Amino acid sequence: MSLEAVQTAIGQVGLTLIVIAVVVAALEGLLYLLLVRVLRTRYAVPLMLVAPAALGLVILIGYPLLWELNVSFTSMSLRNFKDPGFLGLQKDMFVGLSNYIDVFTKPVLKLTGFWQLFAQTLVWTSLNVFFHVTLGMALALLLFRKMRGKGIYRALIILPWAIPQVIALLIWRTEFNFQYGAVNQLLGMIGVAPIPWLSDPFWNFAAMVLTNVWLGVPFMMVIILGGLQSIPGDYYEAAELDGASSRQSFRAITLPLLRPVLTPAIILGTVWTFNNINVPFFINQNELETSDILVTALFRQAFQYNRYGDAAAFAFVIFLMLLAFTIVYIRKTGSLKGAYE
Amino acid sequence: MQRMTKLVTALGALAIVVGACGGGASPTPAPATTAPSTAPEVTPAPTEAAYPTGDFNLTLWTKEGEADGSLQYVKKLTDAYTVLHPNVKIEVVNKDVEALREDFQTASLAGAAPQMLWTVADHIGPFTAADLILPLDDMVDKASYVPAAADIVTVDGKLWGAPVSFGNQLMLYWNKTLAGDTAPADSDALVAKAKELTTGGNYGLVFNQTESFWMFPFLGGYGGSVFAADGKTPTLDTPSMNQALQFMYDLKYTDKVMPPEADYNVADGLFKDGKAPFIINGDWTLSTYVETFGDKLGVGPIPQLSGAEYPKPYIAGAFFMAAKAVGDDPDTKTVVSDFFTYATSQATQVDMVKTLKRLPGNAEALADPIVTGDPFLDGAAAAAQKGIPQPTNLEMRCIFDSATAGVRDMFTGNSDIAAIAKTMQSGAETCISQL
Repeated sequence: MSLEAVQTAIGQVGLTLIVIAVVVAALEGLLYLLLVRVLRTRYAVPLMLVAPAALGLVILIGYPLLWELNVSFTSMSLRNFKDPGFLGLQKDMFVGLSNYIDVFTKPVLKLTGFWQLFAQTLVWTSLNVFFHVTLGMALALLLFRKMRGKGIYRALIILPWAIPQVIALLIWRTEFNFQYGAVNQLLGMIGVAPIPWLSDPFWNFAAMVLTNVWLGVPFMMVIILGGLQSIPGDYYEAAELDGASSRQSFRAITLPLLRPVLTPAIILGTVWTFNNINVPFFINQNELETSDILVTALFRQAFQYNRYGDAAAFAFVIFLMLLAFTIVYIRKTGSLKGAYE
Repeated sequence: MQRMTKLVTALGALAIVVGACGGGASPTPAPATTAPSTAPEVTPAPTEAAYPTGDFNLTLWTKEGEADGSLQYVKKLTDAYTVLHPNVKIEVVNKDVEALREDFQTASLAGAAPQMLWTVADHIGPFTAADLILPLDDMVDKASYVPAAADIVTVDGKLWGAPVSFGNQLMLYWNKTLAGDTAPADSDALVAKAKELTTGGNYGLVFNQTESFWMFPFLGGYGGSVFAADGKTPTLDTPSMNQALQFMYDLKYTDKVMPPEADYNVADGLFKDGKAPFIINGDWTLSTYVETFGDKLGVGPIPQLSGAEYPKPYIAGAFFMAAKAVGDDPDTKTVVSDFFTYATSQATQVDMVKTLKRLPGNAEALADPIVTGDPFLDGAAAAAQKGIPQPTNLEMRCIFDSATAGVRDMFTGNSDIAAIAKTMQSGAETCISQL
């Protein structure tokens, strides 16, 4: 790392930060004039607080999403590698809904189609969320008790979350090596034959789940622990007085009062796991199609095969699936009622 | 109230999903380091027209990494060029091969592509299909290059790259301390020696079991090829492919001379640690192995397949390419052209051979005593002569991916070779039809 490179980097980052600060200041000034001086609305302060983040979302997520939606109706690929413009209409690239139809009817990559990938993704997501929640809950309940060294245990359990994910995955991948990896060597010590974690379809999937559970439990534990700490102790005292067992207290008090915390955590966990490209991509070193999920197939379609139009349509299909799931889940559980009651 | 409920629910759901769908961090490229300070002895490249004045800040993306000193060499080269032309500064950025291709495509779409690339031949296919690079016929002297090297990057009669190094071929390396001084005469002798040396955690023969690149030499040795005569129709379901896959399967499961799992790093590590006497690897690693083994290193072609021909590894190499935008400014084009000519001149290439131990793309440099008098390079050149040019068209990517899946399937123990070949063929056909 040369001094020149550092100076260049600082210059570029610094300039970007200055531009952001100026834009935010100008936006806040404008909103103040409009909302406080002209409209005199009582929502001025919350709107001014939310505005910079909303602007960031529009620029960094909203605009790229719209552009991607645009590309999904075009034939953009390596042989047709140019900015399509509006729906590709003026560049003879418009293909209507055929990309969306192809998502469901043609192999996404070599041979595997959408439905197999979807099934694999459902299994992947279900297993991970189940273990994240149950193990996270178990650890949170253990750490909620009075014990010595609680801080140390908490720090150790959070460690997987603190390690940069890509580095952790590269290390895990090495440790899954059939002959030289630590996992098989430890198994060998207890008399278990070496497992082909990276080359066997079943065991590779298991390796992915193991790794992602290791990575995801700390987050769920922290969320649940925070939720447990916010439950007033009076409820438990009253239940104890009424002769409730610990299991009854857990079902009648802990779970219902944890729901406002658990619901967004489970939704986020489900969406993140559904969309998790890192773990399947790195652990599935041999690109076994049985270990691919929708997003890894999407990545390969876009960046290995350069089928941008198809990949954009594929991405929107995934997005709409997740949106539908989230709306249904929120409605059925009623967990956001507190936001508007 | 109900409408409000629905609105809040929908907005809440959308916010959660959009927020959760935000991209994660992507791995950052390895940081570049400053090159050692010594500049090579070079002769300024002759220029036909007046050299442009004014300042030029160019960017060169290279696939060369730090581990084997090649990135440092690239920086040394660009620094030396700046000494000759102080108004030209070249920023060198290292990228992994795949990341270089993806990022160049993305940057080109955004109009922010680097002016120059130092990359592999198989990028010619996607870059020409997407019209992202300039033909170099009027920028460099094609006659100065090794004909086989220039042919690799000549598509539709146009030269798309300037050869920096020529080769990239797979060859047999052996540890003379373990395996003796002479190379095995043929594949039977190789297997016999490998069996003899497969004991106590050591494996007789290692190579990367996760990439199809290591399969193609054997396919060629059994008389097969990946494309039909038209250069586009895949021919992966053939008797030659069956023979090649069977040969590799037998090495692992019948002769048992290979480790249960070995990717590139595992194979390389076993060989360097002295746990494997033979390795099939590329010429890009020659300098590292020379450093490790010294005169105990043997280098030569992969032995002839018993009852068949010599394996035919793909020949490619590293090439300069120019982004299409370079052609928009005559002065920038002149500077880039001059740099390419300088970097691939005889003197510069001889220095590259000394530093990187790779076969040069310059024809005069290839005939220089530094190549012909070096036993390692001589062995590499002998291996290169058994090779065939690697196809660089867009369809080749489908071949690589489909064949890789088949090779991995075979090395995980699937003995139904015929079915594997059929799957490779259908996978390649599907991929090509969707290009």
